[in-house]
Amino acid sequence: MDCRYSRPESLAEAVAVLCEAQEATEGEAHLVAGGVALGILMNEKLLAPRWFVDVSRLAELKGIEASEDGGLRIGAGCRHREVERSPLVAERYAILAEMAAEIACGRIKNRGTIGGNICLADPQGDPPVAVIALRATLRALGPKGTRDIPATDFFKGLYETALGPDEILQEIRLPPPQANEGAAFGKFSARRAMDYSSTISVAVRLTRDPASEQILEIGLGLGGSGETPIWAKETEKAFIGRRPGDECFALMRETLFAEIEPLADDLYSQDYKRHVAAVIMKRTVEKAWQRSGGTA
Amino acid sequence: MTQLDISLTVNGARHELSVGPTEMLTEVLRRRLDMTGTNRDCGMGICGACTVLLDGQPVSSCILLAALADGSEITTVEGLERDGRLTAVQEAFLRHGAVQCGYCTPGFVITSTALLEENPSPSREEIVEALKGNLCRCTGYKKIVEAVEAVARAKGDGVGVS
Ligand SMILES: Cc1cc2nc3c(=O)[nH]c(=O)nc-3n(C[C@H](O)[C@H](O)[C@H](O)COP(=O)(O)OP(=O)(O)OC[C@H]3O[C@@H](n4cnc5c(N)ncnc54)[C@H](O)[C@@H]3O)c2cc1C
Ligand code: FES
Ligand code: FES
Repeated sequence: MDCRYSRPESLAEAVAVLCEAQEATEGEAHLVAGGVALGILMNEKLLAPRWFVDVSRLAELKGIEASEDGGLRIGAGCRHREVERSPLVAERYAILAEMAAEIACGRIKNRGTIGGNICLADPQGDPPVAVIALRATLRALGPKGTRDIPATDFFKGLYETALGPDEILQEIRLPPPQANEGAAFGKFSARRAMDYSSTISVAVRLTRDPASEQILEIGLGLGGSGETPIWAKETEKAFIGRRPGDECFALMRETLFAEIEPLADDLYSQDYKRHVAAVIMKRTVEKAWQRSGGTA
Repeated sequence: MTQLDISLTVNGARHELSVGPTEMLTEVLRRRLDMTGTNRDCGMGICGACTVLLDGQPVSSCILLAALADGSEITTVEGLERDGRLTAVQEAFLRHGAVQCGYCTPGFVITSTALLEENPSPSREEIVEALKGNLCRCTGYKKIVEAVEAVARAKGDGVGVS
């Protein structure tokens, strides 16, 4: 089937073109950022696009800057490599650089964008896990204007997000870092590189109460542990007001096992994946705790 | 069928092309421009056989829509030699036995060339890290890493893609 291709010059124009394209193709139009995910789907004959809307050159989707509220704004069109190497990210949200470093390899990081990855919503995806833990806000533009969606409310089902077919993810907005905060990213994979099928990843951001030496707040994102990137809401509660240690981790394990339903695959059973998720979570929480200034 | 007019500068030569919106760069290089040095294997971004430089950066051309590369400079393995002389990386691959069947070689050579452009004296760990996404079914990688190390030790003389 014939496919059309548009390259709008501004974000506003892109929204207009996307609306027209979705209407004309009955929802078979696709935004293209890095094109990495779409490229695979096409080569695998899983996608027969009718209209591509190329947003890869839009200035509004680029750049990483401090935002007015003391947080950080990352354009949806930033490539993984940029996130990995950004001095601003390294200084204030090093967990994102740690996460980006774990994605595939240079060749993929040079093309794939953080926004494309989040919008793809692959259950193995690493950026979704990090933005959930960091309590990021995902800002989208659509025909009805701007919409801010909490990352914890963005991933709706297998490859499904809260975005409407006519909305474009514009930027990822991170809240300002707090005092006594620590964050870390951990990933389990069978191969050191290019493993993107049975990985399990955990992102943790916590704050430590220096008076009680307990966890005051915590954000937990999990990848490879279900149909979507997961916000481990119940498991978060198990950590609040506790100090990382044997008792706390036993409770975490119990809660986490009940909370996630990893999909069994060719390599691992569901039980094994649950076990690995708990191990990686323990290690990653310990790392975040130490980074917050807490002692082991 | 919808066709797009794009321009690609491949190994220094500018080409005005009309491509389909779903055509990948590997096919454009191999079929339209007859440059068969860029190989295709997995077609999923995994193996690295199709690696080319896009504005100096390695990318998988098998999953890159040619339309996205419009206006870019592309370097393929054919574009590395100068006046019939192989680059130091290519020579080192030959000298160190880093080539057997050769299918993966263009991807490794391109990726190594980009690494040495950015960092002329990488450590062994940095070489392994840069090459971790390229698959070779023949050599066992050891000789490939040794070849790149040898060039790094010789301070990157003769490496150039510009
Ligand atoms: C070999 C290989 C290994 C990989 N390993 C990893 C890994 O370890 N971890 C990991 O997290 N990922 C991994 N990936 C996935 C890769 O990171 C993503 O495919 C990539 O980031 C997608 O970004 P893109 O810009 O190329 O998206 P595109 O292919 O351009 O788009 C992806 C989807 O998002 C939509 N989209 C794009 N931009 C927007 C926007 N601004 N607003 C709304 N919708 C949009 C598109 O319409 C499409 O549906 C791997 C990929 C490959 C090929
Ligand atoms: S053929 Fe492109 S990465 Fe394998
Ligand atoms: S030399 Fe044969 S695959 Fe590498």
